[in-house]
Amino acid sequence: MNFFAATLESLGAKLVGWFDVGYGMFAFLARALMLLLDPATWNRATFDVVIKQVYFTAVQILHVFLGYALVISWLIITIILSTAREFGLTEFATEMAIRVLVLELLPFLTALFIALRSGSAINTEVALMRVNNELDALDHCKVPPMQFEFLPRLIGGVVSVVTLATLAGLVALLLAYLSIYGMSMAGFEAFTRTVAKIFDFRIVAGLAMKCALFGLAVTLIPVTAGLETPKKLFMVPVSVLRGMMRVFFAIVAIEVMSLALKYI
Amino acid sequence: MNAVKSNPFHFKVGLFAAASLLLIGLFLVYLLHARGFFEHTYRLKLAAASADGVAPGVPLVFSGIEIGRVASLGLNDNGGIVINVELLERNARWLKQNSSFTLDKPFVGGAKIRVDTPDLKAPPLPDNSTMLLLSADISKEIPVLVDRVKTILDNIDHLTRKDGELNATLANVKTLTGNMTGEYGMLEGVLGSPEKARAVTDSLDKTRALLSKLDGLALKMDGMAVKADTWLFSQDGVATQTRASLQQIRALLDDAQSSLKKADAMMTNAVAISADVREGTQDIARLRAEIDEAVRRANALVNEINKKWPFARDPEVKLP
Repeated sequence: MNFFAATLESLGAKLVGWFDVGYGMFAFLARALMLLLDPATWNRATFDVVIKQVYFTAVQILHVFLGYALVISWLIITIILSTAREFGLTEFATEMAIRVLVLELLPFLTALFIALRSGSAINTEVALMRVNNELDALDHCKVPPMQFEFLPRLIGGVVSVVTLATLAGLVALLLAYLSIYGMSMAGFEAFTRTVAKIFDFRIVAGLAMKCALFGLAVTLIPVTAGLETPKKLFMVPVSVLRGMMRVFFAIVAIEVMSLALKYI
Repeated sequence: MNAVKSNPFHFKVGLFAAASLLLIGLFLVYLLHARGFFEHTYRLKLAAASADGVAPGVPLVFSGIEIGRVASLGLNDNGGIVINVELLERNARWLKQNSSFTLDKPFVGGAKIRVDTPDLKAPPLPDNSTMLLLSADISKEIPVLVDRVKTILDNIDHLTRKDGELNATLANVKTLTGNMTGEYGMLEGVLGSPEKARAVTDSLDKTRALLSKLDGLALKMDGMAVKADTWLFSQDGVATQTRASLQQIRALLDDAQSSLKKADAMMTNAVAISADVREGTQDIARLRAEIDEAVRRANALVNEINKKWPFARDPEVKLP
């Protein structure tokens, strides 16, 4: 009985912990959105920080990322094409490749890419700033950290994931066309028909929404995880670990949700 | 953390943003073009007897390529089904006034409306026109198909029944091939029984024996002719006559011999080479005729000799 009670208690504690984390996250997001809507936020200084964040999150890794997207797309397209030919389903190969790559795999991989590179860095940076009391110092100097540290990171994340996923999708579309029809315009009409069939308004809006959510998840969660860090230096790695786990779960949850909305 | 202004920094982000926006914009324009946003939407009404299997989204297919979709369907004032199909202007050129529209409901996969245009030079179908939708429902053809298959199966049953034609034929073929594998091979197969086949071979053997006998006879007669020459005195008496007769006999003998040789060759041919039953039969018939002919000639010869010198005891040659 004692054991049972203990189990229930620990479960309750966990649930309360998750709720706290979720609440903290959404409260933070709400504050960020309020700030975003405030015209006073949009001065030259904020804009510069946003540009810096976009540069570090997207532009700096553009060539690496596009190369990576190219290789992954080429692999997947080749696998789909050869399998489709083997089973005599070539007419579905184009649609299959586009759906798998542009709608599902590439946005997901982009989010993971940004999470690994920028998300972990943001988490560490925020945790260190908090441990070193830098955030309080900034506040003291009338430099609100939300406006100059956190909001630009969120915007940078969303813009980066949306843009990079789109660019990777375009690369994959081009590659799919070249793989299927080669260097000729012969298949353009059929390809256009397939593209028209796949990308209706709902799908495009859903894709944009999904990418934006991915971008938010890979920046918002690390920032809140960093802010939760107790003021002890050895807690920084633990904070990063927790933050990255949450990011991973959030990405999977968003992907599952989008699939459920699309196909159920 | 004040923003540090640095030109290459801004330039790169600006370039990235501009290029991305340009690409996204181009893609959106391409997408709008692909979905026919810049085109007039062509509408077509299809009148059908039944809307069974038709739903919004069912494709309109021309030569296996989707050119449009069912937008909506409903009933008109007379209770008839009206199916509204929408397609892009560029795809509407495949629709002509002589086009036929068929509702295809395959076993596997969804229903589709098939467009068949026999003449692409026919005048185009105007916008908003109403056409008739035919139904090619495979499931309705199944009972007919089953009936036909049943008839075929009945026929097969009739053919293969226990006392049926097929069984009798097979039994005949079995007997024939059984005979062919007997001692006398194909000859037995053709003639029907080993006894008859043996009779043919026996007669051949006898003919051979007869031939050798006749050969011997001829030699004897040669000798007798010489003796007669010496015995008979007169120059143009019996002897001359006899010589003439003898020459005649030799010619007859030669004839008989060649006939028999021919028969022999024919026999070899029939047994060893000819695999075709019909050809074999013809050969056998000819062989039989040849043998008969040879025997007849031999008989005639013996009779002739008998007339001149009545020394032969058994002038008759019997054909078995």
